[in-house]
Amino acid sequence: MGSPVKKIMLCSSEKEIFSVEEQVMVQHSVIINNMIEDGSYNHEESKIPLDCVDSKTLKKVIDYCTHHTHHHNDNQEDLEAWDAQFLNVDSNGLYDLLMAANYLEIRNLLDLIYGTIKNMIKGKKIDEIRRIFNIKDHGFTPEEEEQNRKEYPHFY
Amino acid sequence: MEKKQKSINDILPLDLIQRILLRIPVKHLGRLKCVSKLWHSLISDPDFAESHLHLSFAPTHACIYIKNSTEAYLVHLDEAFNGDNYQVKELSFPFKKKPISEFRVMGSCRGFVLLHQEPYYFVVWNPLTGFSNIVHRSMGRSSYFLDNAILYGFGYDASRDDYLVVVAWQACDCQLLDCFSFKTNSCISLDAALLKPLGLTEWRSCGLFLNGSIHWSSSSGMNEALLVFDLKERSFSKISLPEQLIMRGPTTFVILGGCLALYCHYYRERKTHIWVMKEYKVHSSWTLYVIPCLEFEPLCISNGSDIIEVDPILSVPARLLKFAKYNIREELLQRFTRPTTLPFGHYCFHYVSYTVYTESLLLFPSDSKHKNKKNNIVI
Repeated sequence: MGSPVKKIMLCSSEKEIFSVEEQVMVQHSVIINNMIEDGSYNHEESKIPLDCVDSKTLKKVIDYCTHHTHHHNDNQEDLEAWDAQFLNVDSNGLYDLLMAANYLEIRNLLDLIYGTIKNMIKGKKIDEIRRIFNIKDHGFTPEEEEQNRKEYPHFY
Repeated sequence: MEKKQKSINDILPLDLIQRILLRIPVKHLGRLKCVSKLWHSLISDPDFAESHLHLSFAPTHACIYIKNSTEAYLVHLDEAFNGDNYQVKELSFPFKKKPISEFRVMGSCRGFVLLHQEPYYFVVWNPLTGFSNIVHRSMGRSSYFLDNAILYGFGYDASRDDYLVVVAWQACDCQLLDCFSFKTNSCISLDAALLKPLGLTEWRSCGLFLNGSIHWSSSSGMNEALLVFDLKERSFSKISLPEQLIMRGPTTFVILGGCLALYCHYYRERKTHIWVMKEYKVHSSWTLYVIPCLEFEPLCISNGSDIIEVDPILSVPARLLKFAKYNIREELLQRFTRPTTLPFGHYCFHYVSYTVYTESLLLFPSDSKHKNKKNNIVI
């Protein structure tokens, strides 16, 4: 007690600086944990550059890690409700979060996002899946597409 | 916002799309191949099929039943408990003509089911992709029926990328061991691997494949060990059992959640004891689960910890296919009962055979040229 909470600096693609409790990021991100452990992060001057993560996404990632650090004792239902609310974003927001979680290696967030995408696919027909994921150019030739539709009409 | 018009395929890097697809249960992947050419090529990649089988994000446990040698039924065990509208699926055999003699399930391995038509044919079949390969058993020395075999089993040798059928049988005054290779379509005799003669009724003849080896359990009730045949080294060894099982009397051998397991029924307590070797070949990892149910025949582990069982095939009333799910804390979670045209009555017991396997999209080594094509072979 008494000693100030250790913070680290994260820098988004827009060069915006976010100051976060070190413990929060160390617990969740394999990459940041490694940087702290091997001493490559200098608390005096380092900022961790996250060139492929924009500010909006980085803020969400930090929210996620912070909540799961401070509320990990909450009951499962509350956490799941929070997660569901957290991932209530459009598909672009979801992809951005996926790429950020992948880059920072935040395993529980990755599992959460993969699970959400899996549910978006589950039980859906091809045309719906294409709409959900905005796949307009599917890459099949008209002949191949027609062949598939003929062969597997129940898929579409 | 230019991003708005972009598709998932343009935004996410390939490896992330691949990782999404790796988490989709394999039986849905056939459909997803039609979503886009990119998804088609990712899913069709043989390495993808291999990874999908090994990453257990979404294993689908299928149970295939063969009745009267002519009808096959498929139950997706994990799904059977999700909702009331689950339908048992009738499969068509991968051959057109009605078989001339009895067909039996001989084993399964990596999504392939091996059928045996006595005494002439082996059929390797991936019910998910529709692939099948029929082999006339010109195995020279042997004309055994499975009932006469001392040991038999089906497995995969990763070091040679080859699927093998192993059979040991008694011939006059000596014992023979044959290993049929699907890759070379030929049979190798491995009699020397039998260090000493096997007792004719010492082992249950049907072996189970796990971790590159085929395993057999004791049939004598002595239960000292499991017999193991390593398909790479082509040699036998043994795995000792928990002391509590030794001399216990008959046990049944299954593979649960990728682990060797044995179970036995305790009639007085009306309980079933299931011993699971949680770490392969680590004796101290044998773990006991007690299920408060006597007639319990575990089939597989679902969701990491739920044990799915089949109520004994001879259950009354007949014509019902019954499964139940327990968790490892011994609580009954759910029952699944479906009326079925399967006459699971007493009279047909000998004509029903089944196997539980993990579905896969894998190609058979000889099949790589044809890429998943449906081969309906006429016998």
